[in-house]
Amino acid sequence: MPLTLLECDIPIPEREKHTYIKKSGETIVPRCNVQTTPGDLTERGCTYAGCMGVVGGPVKDVIHLIHGPIGCAFYTWGGGRRQNLSDNTEFHRKYCFSTSMQESNVIFGGEKKLHDAILEAYERFPDVNGVFVYATCVIGLIGDDINTVCKTAAEEIGVPVIPFSCEGFRGVSQSLGHHIANDVIFEKIVGTKEPDEVTQYDINIIGDYNIQGDLWIIEPLFEAMGLRILCTFTGNASIDDLAMAHRAKLNVMHCQRSTPYICELMEEKYGVPYMPVSLFGITQTSKAIRDVAAFFGLGGKAEEVIQSEVAKILPEIEYYKEQLRGKRVFIYQGAPRAWHWIKLMEELGMEVVGAATTFGHTDDYEKIIERIGDGALVIDNPNSVELREILVGYKPDLFISGLKEKFLAYKLGVPFVNGHSYERGPYAVYSGFLKFAKDIHTTINHPAWKLIEGRA
Amino acid sequence: MTQATAKTETKTKAKKEVKRSVTINPGTICQPIGAMQAVLGVHGAISLVHGSQGCAAYPMRMFNRHFQEPVEIALSSLGEDAAVFGGADNLIKGVHALVARRQPELIAVLTTCLSETIGDDINGILRKIDLPTTLVPMHTPSYIGSHVTGYDNAVKALVTHLAEQTGPNSKINIVVGLLNPGDIRELKSMLAAMRVKAIILTDISETLDAPLILPRPRFPNGGTTLAEVADTANSIGSIALCKHAGGAAAKYLASKHKVPMISGSCPIGVANTDAFLENVSHLMGRPISDELRKERGRLIDAMIDVQFKIAQKKVAIHADPDVASGMARFLHELGMTPAIIATGTESKEFVADVQAVASQTGHEIKIISGCDLYELHEAVKAVGVDLVMGNSQATYIGDDEKTAFARIGFPVYDRVGYQRRAIIGYGGGINLVDRITNAILDHADSA
Repeated sequence: MPLTLLECDIPIPEREKHTYIKKSGETIVPRCNVQTTPGDLTERGCTYAGCMGVVGGPVKDVIHLIHGPIGCAFYTWGGGRRQNLSDNTEFHRKYCFSTSMQESNVIFGGEKKLHDAILEAYERFPDVNGVFVYATCVIGLIGDDINTVCKTAAEEIGVPVIPFSCEGFRGVSQSLGHHIANDVIFEKIVGTKEPDEVTQYDINIIGDYNIQGDLWIIEPLFEAMGLRILCTFTGNASIDDLAMAHRAKLNVMHCQRSTPYICELMEEKYGVPYMPVSLFGITQTSKAIRDVAAFFGLGGKAEEVIQSEVAKILPEIEYYKEQLRGKRVFIYQGAPRAWHWIKLMEELGMEVVGAATTFGHTDDYEKIIERIGDGALVIDNPNSVELREILVGYKPDLFISGLKEKFLAYKLGVPFVNGHSYERGPYAVYSGFLKFAKDIHTTINHPAWKLIEGRA
Repeated sequence: MTQATAKTETKTKAKKEVKRSVTINPGTICQPIGAMQAVLGVHGAISLVHGSQGCAAYPMRMFNRHFQEPVEIALSSLGEDAAVFGGADNLIKGVHALVARRQPELIAVLTTCLSETIGDDINGILRKIDLPTTLVPMHTPSYIGSHVTGYDNAVKALVTHLAEQTGPNSKINIVVGLLNPGDIRELKSMLAAMRVKAIILTDISETLDAPLILPRPRFPNGGTTLAEVADTANSIGSIALCKHAGGAAAKYLASKHKVPMISGSCPIGVANTDAFLENVSHLMGRPISDELRKERGRLIDAMIDVQFKIAQKKVAIHADPDVASGMARFLHELGMTPAIIATGTESKEFVADVQAVASQTGHEIKIISGCDLYELHEAVKAVGVDLVMGNSQATYIGDDEKTAFARIGFPVYDRVGYQRRAIIGYGGGINLVDRITNAILDHADSA
């Protein structure tokens, strides 16, 4: 099957290029990483979301100051107690800083307000180790010179003030924001401090944001093999962790959409090699541990860790596998999890009937198509109308997506697990896999689905 | 800092805080989200936000979390090109695509800080589009006002574009404001008890609290119909429950279509609900029914029952202006002390409303208009209170100051059911009595 056009897309035929039914032997990749069609009922986020919301925001000991009108700051404030966890809860994600640009600032410029805001924020929170300044849409249009303001302010307060020009309109999705954050953090922070000591076994975990504490179950696996985690980029990271990251011997890269940029930059400038890994499910996690161990010549240790961890979850995983066998899944994630999780679903005996990403690039879709079965639907940047058609038409037993799609699934009677911020996670590595399986089993078997009037 | 009591001190303080350039823990959201909530209460309507990706995605998430409902927001998808060359092409394409794909009855085109700064003339652009769908431009730049202003502008835009005199209809217009589905159900039950027919502007009671019944309709059932919006020009009168969020529409109908408007407090608590019902009764010539008298009696019974559990407790509240000022009076009726009444939206009218409560009740109230939660927190520390009330973002103030905390406002996402429970009317008052008292008891138990 070639590219296909959903029924709801007949009035918007350009969506056909984004919609593909997998057939072995073909080398077709859906069109991706392009501007959302005007009028779309979109699920995508903006460049600011990728820069501040995803990569910059998790840094736990800096003031995140949003330069622009108030909305963008409000929307990225906190997020409850379950996402992007850090061990600095008395400050991180509890406070939200904005210049709250008013009409007069838009007309006359916001540089003075930004400068004053940095100083005032720092005066009130002098224990922070830096200030990250994020420019939202208006700033790019009125042309505030945020670089100069940040430089001046940094000299006055004596801690780094880092500008991110991540105006929402710049990119087609969150993805450009990830790239901007990578570049700025690399250019202005990485390499500015030296660790007290370095060991032969120092690694960074790049591209994990500690959703519901993912990192806190990932790190012990590597530490058990005698490795030391120098920096986690950027979940639970301090600005100093980032500054010293260049001294690691290996970058272990988890999210391969939001962080290949910094991995490549660090390899080029500091000679730190990187290794892409999937830390989801038994097979992929075990492969990651073996690969990293082999790099350091710790093969035996890897087998010990794997054996002990797998033994802890295998009996229950076998139970869930029995229960979930043959269930059909549609996965819609930011990008990499769509392909990270195809194998994981297969490990649970389930069939992936469709996969989609919000901001995937060609390499993400190549990986999806390589992993997914024949006849499965692969769709780029689907909107709520398309999702509805897919959920009603394919009738998956499970939809894995994010908050914005959750209640649509519920309203259509489709069992759902939030793969972005998780339900009762974390979902990474072995213990997380078991939690993931349990949540999947819970939603698929929830008794209330059977009570819905009109459900076939 | 000593306890700030005198009103002059309040004013000085407010002046000083306005000068702060940094906003810490905002007390407002931006205009588009308020406008979107208004549009979500119109049957078959979709907001098309003229901005970048986040302008649609972020408000959606906020609605999802608070209402636990799916929400559709369309986007004109402005990128770098539009920032340089203007967004007219995107908007025209967007409207056509949305009509072709979704066939909405109405498209509300919302501006953002991005499209307003670019300078797109959306009224002019929309005038050139020839489609059977009703298109309503709404100007909601994020650098002016707040979500409250956005709602106000949106409902005014709806009546400005749709209201049409066709002959008297014997109905009352009620502009709701930024309240919850539970509030609208309470409102409807009050009006039903008086046999009063009403046009609810706008009605999210079903659209944002939809039953799970399959198959799902193409658009959520319920909501104010376009015919009803048009018919508002023919009503006997208008009442805006929240004058900051809806008052502009009532004023427009009064000046343009001579629909008398009654301005009053948000019907929270006994006196405010009494006044609201009297206004409805007076306007519509319908008596206040026995049913409502009984409900009033139940509220007062509940208030008396809890007196020793909550009397004299000092309360700080942060909410939208009309809810906060309405609460000030209700806290007095409960025998509690309204110590700090704060709102994120800057408003002289709000200050005057709360000052009126203060002078009528003798309470010394610290009034803060246009405040962020950082300023509220500072005030709570200075004044010392027993109970803080605010949205989910404000819970940390209760935690830090070890006070009781009761949720109110938007968004509430860390506990369930708040969108279903009224705070207006006698029934809403009963809910608040329970909520406030239990918050104080839970806090005492856990201390």
